[in-house]
Amino acid sequence: MLSKNKKIPKVGIGGPVGSGKTRLIERVVPVLIDRGYRCCIISNDVISKEDAQRMQRVLSTELKVMPENMIIGIATGGCPHTAIREDPTINLAVIDEIEKKDPSLDLIIIESGGDNVMTTFSPALADYFIYIIDVAGGDKYPRKGGLGIESSDLLVINKIDLAPNVGADLAIMERDAKKIRQEKPFVFVNCQTGEGIDYVAENIIKSILFDKKPIAKKDRTK
Amino acid sequence: MSTDHEFFLMQLADSFFPSGMFGMSNCLESLVKHKKIKNDKDVLNFIEQQIEFQLVPCDCMIFLTAMNSAKNNNIEELVEADNRFYSMRLISEVRNASVRSGSQILNCVIQITHDREENKIARQFQKKILSDETPGTYPICLGIAANLFGIPEESGVRMMLYSFSQSVVAAAIRLGVIEHISGQKILSLLSSKINSISENIKKEPLDNLWQLTPLTDIFQMIHEYDSSKMFIT
Repeated sequence: MLSKNKKIPKVGIGGPVGSGKTRLIERVVPVLIDRGYRCCIISNDVISKEDAQRMQRVLSTELKVMPENMIIGIATGGCPHTAIREDPTINLAVIDEIEKKDPSLDLIIIESGGDNVMTTFSPALADYFIYIIDVAGGDKYPRKGGLGIESSDLLVINKIDLAPNVGADLAIMERDAKKIRQEKPFVFVNCQTGEGIDYVAENIIKSILFDKKPIAKKDRTK
Repeated sequence: MSTDHEFFLMQLADSFFPSGMFGMSNCLESLVKHKKIKNDKDVLNFIEQQIEFQLVPCDCMIFLTAMNSAKNNNIEELVEADNRFYSMRLISEVRNASVRSGSQILNCVIQITHDREENKIARQFQKKILSDETPGTYPICLGIAANLFGIPEESGVRMMLYSFSQSVVAAAIRLGVIEHISGQKILSLLSSKINSISENIKKEPLDNLWQLTPLTDIFQMIHEYDSSKMFIT
């Protein structure tokens, strides 16, 4: 009886401000598109639509991999957690509009800025949840736990190139991530070089697009 | 007198009820940014003006019409009232917010009353939304929900005015214009006005709808094109 909005698979990407959510999407989406999957992005931003506008510039204007109107910004009134967790209605309403406009999309990516480690997505909103942190927060980050780090389907530890500069020990982060997440996957990523990006894309495909083969590029119109 | 509806009244009026209201400042953000609202007195005055010149002559009338139409299973009247209200929302972000919030309230109410025959009119109306025959605005969907939950008209209007006031007060606190105690004082000061309106308001024909909030409309238009904002409206 509690139906979920399941028509187009949805990935939620959450994490602290500055952890690299937007950059991760900018790197992963071209990989997914290259594999034949068509995506739409909803960006929840606390005080502006800056992230959405940046992704429009990078993905639509510069890389030309997706149309600008498939990147939608939502200002969340200083309550990013509320907008994706206890009251996801505005996001769900936008998803309804997207699904009505283009039901043939393969994937909707929902980005939400958070400011703590307790971020989660409502099950009505996201079928797959990626939580992203970065090494600049210190190598203690994974072992501190929190819903995002513990319960996400994939934990991304970003900006690994900065580790030597901020005194973060990646071996400690790996050990703690394994311990706290047990069987759940995590990955070290460097969004600047692209290291780890294919792993993220593969996990999305394997986990929520498994029953949906992409249509050949020549057979679709963007 | 039965009090069965009271629990549902609290459920619908609760800011925890998923309607997206936490993201609305109802133009307060723009007015604060442009220094038209600076303190608790300004916030109270803004709410009172909006109630008098927007909510009572328009939103509440639409809400009461929706309650009545839903009660009488009058889908045509629901659609007409919905389209009229939609056409009176002059600013697109306000129109969109009302429709997004309304359709989600309706969806939620339909799902939680799935086993009740009385939700037939709600399901019918949802089909009209999905087929683009009607937009599904907030006061219409709230009226359908209120009728479904057996909430009396007077209590329904009180709930609507309280929800609006609470939403503005919450936005004022988040914007840093007032602090939490002032917020509660404002709500308390509004109680007699809201109670009086709720006791005396009467549904009027749709041709009698009106609204007059030019300052709010202008600043809502400015908000629409603002590059940096916390709130949807």
